[in-house]
Amino acid sequence: MRPPRLFRTTPFRLTLLFLALFAAAASLFLAYIYLATAGEVSMRADARIAREMLSLKAVHRAGGMAALNEAVIERSSVDHPMLYLLMKPDGSAISGSIGASPIRDFDGQATWTSFRVTDVGPGGAPVKELARGLEERLADGTRLFVGADLGESAFYVNRILRALWGAGALVVVLGLAGGLLVSRNVNRSIASLTDVIDRARGGDLHARATARGTGDEYDELAAGLNDMLDRLERSVGGLRHAGDAIAHDLRSPLTRLRARLEAGVIEAEAGRTDAKAALHQALEDTDGVLRTFGAVLAIGRMEAAGDAPGQTTFDPGALAASVAELYEPLCEDKGLEFQLRAAEGLRLKANREFVAQALANILDNAVKYTPAGGAIMARVRRRSSGDVEVSVTDTGPGIPAQDRARAVERFVRLENSRNAPGAGLGLSLVAAVARAHRGNLELDEGPGALDGSGPGLRVALVFPSAG
Amino acid sequence: MRLLIVEDDLEASGAMVTGLTEKGHQCRAAADGEAGLKAARDERFDVMIIDRMMPRMDGVTLVETLRRAGDQTPVLFLSALGEIDDRVAGLNAGGDDYLVKPYALAELLARVEALSRRREMGAVQTVLKVGDLEMDLIARTVRRAGVEIDLQPREFQLLEFLMRHGGQSVTRTMLLEKVWDYHFDPQTNVIDVHISRLRSKIDKGFDKAMLQTVRGAGYRLEA
Repeated sequence: MRPPRLFRTTPFRLTLLFLALFAAAASLFLAYIYLATAGEVSMRADARIAREMLSLKAVHRAGGMAALNEAVIERSSVDHPMLYLLMKPDGSAISGSIGASPIRDFDGQATWTSFRVTDVGPGGAPVKELARGLEERLADGTRLFVGADLGESAFYVNRILRALWGAGALVVVLGLAGGLLVSRNVNRSIASLTDVIDRARGGDLHARATARGTGDEYDELAAGLNDMLDRLERSVGGLRHAGDAIAHDLRSPLTRLRARLEAGVIEAEAGRTDAKAALHQALEDTDGVLRTFGAVLAIGRMEAAGDAPGQTTFDPGALAASVAELYEPLCEDKGLEFQLRAAEGLRLKANREFVAQALANILDNAVKYTPAGGAIMARVRRRSSGDVEVSVTDTGPGIPAQDRARAVERFVRLENSRNAPGAGLGLSLVAAVARAHRGNLELDEGPGALDGSGPGLRVALVFPSAG
Repeated sequence: MRLLIVEDDLEASGAMVTGLTEKGHQCRAAADGEAGLKAARDERFDVMIIDRMMPRMDGVTLVETLRRAGDQTPVLFLSALGEIDDRVAGLNAGGDDYLVKPYALAELLARVEALSRRREMGAVQTVLKVGDLEMDLIARTVRRAGVEIDLQPREFQLLEFLMRHGGQSVTRTMLLEKVWDYHFDPQTNVIDVHISRLRSKIDKGFDKAMLQTVRGAGYRLEA
């Protein structure tokens, strides 16, 4: 049988464990108090008994048997807290407050004993009380027993014991109540997280945990969970979208390719043309399809990898210079002014190849969309926040503010870019690189409209500082 | 050249044999890693083209086995895996070059020729010569017919690679990989622009154009 749900929760189990530990410690403590108190009480009684025995022995030595008998009778008769018994050498009673010695086999040596006496309680009812006693043989063979009951002292010991037990019970009850409360509280926090996980597992990737704003570890867990779900949703969304987009983007060139091959076969069979031209065209189409496919694959892999693998620390300025060097002649050929401004001595921990490819894509776009006579400026700097920014600004037509978010989506090619070549994957690959480094891709207006050109575009790849 | 092709996809293997034989090479094909290992032990080849993923013995194991046995024949890996890690793993195993599927026949041919050439030039050279073009690797100077040509550092590297493979076709991807060390596909053919600048420097004012464009393949520096 499974125990109720509450008893299976970690906080409640911990509460039980601590209660058990506490109970064990409390028991040891109680035992110690009891032993110490009870020991003290009987030690004091023993001292009293020993003193009384000495004093009676002195009476015996001074006044003999008659004086001792008198003293015993006197002490027994008054309301004296102690017990006395004077016996003949064979153990039969001569005088005293008890009828017989509790010690059965007296061998002549001084003998201590613990025993119980029956007394009359407050209501007249008999009560048994603990007592201590000492029996000794006097010089003439007479035996003397002196005892003391511990009743009064034992009463206090019992009070202390009861108080301790009461306190222990209270602690257990309070502990259990506290444990239940903590468990319920924790359970409520966990339950909301579990609920989100269950929903996500059921396929609802929009589910998000709500932080309570206390900044405690549950909030941290909720934030982590939400971040994970964000990434998951984006990646799944990306895949879903990529499926449609691949179908859309590969289907048209594949259809074209198929038609071209079919037409080629018909024409060649009819002897109207040789198959060579059709084959060449088909090859070119195939390369285009492969190129698109390669780009889609690169983005997919980057997103599937989560954090970019193979990160090294390098100088982003030097990397930018090397990529810029690749594109500079292209700019010049197109009549574009090119400039690189890179801060020196910066360090960036990232996948070098990914960053190079991202920058190449940004530059490629800039060269493609900036009309002749324009300018392109690449810049690498450290922001005041410590983030490393790699940006490219051009004087091309730019992207209207309302289209910027869409521009980084896969396969989106904005209306006015229809005529430029490219599969429309450039910026989404850059965005994927940014995400793989937990960075950002920022799109802004460039230097502004001037002489009918512009306003230009500023694309910035921002990498968070290493700290 | 004698070539060994180890590839389990028989159609791809057949197409390779056809294409390479057409270019005057002798090819022997093996359909899996074990057969490939046997062939490599039987005969001497100039270059081996080895698929990475095959039944029985994968390409990496095959090459590691050959290298341990002291076989230094240049190896070109073919692979459907194009990640940098895969490439590095292939090269670490003893491969000399890495080509990602699907590839153009011209690309394969250019890389195979480049590999065979590499072995011929075992000794360290300090001066490269192609026709009347001369490159001094120590002084870092280039002369054509005795006239000094001023080159930017990257142009120098580009020309050095072309001269080392003088008379052979080199593809744009090869140049991007070997001269710039980039392994991605730039959307635009940026390499063309660099080639045309280099061409204007080494061919301008001379009767014969040395740096030629090979249709569908890339470029070739002719003596």
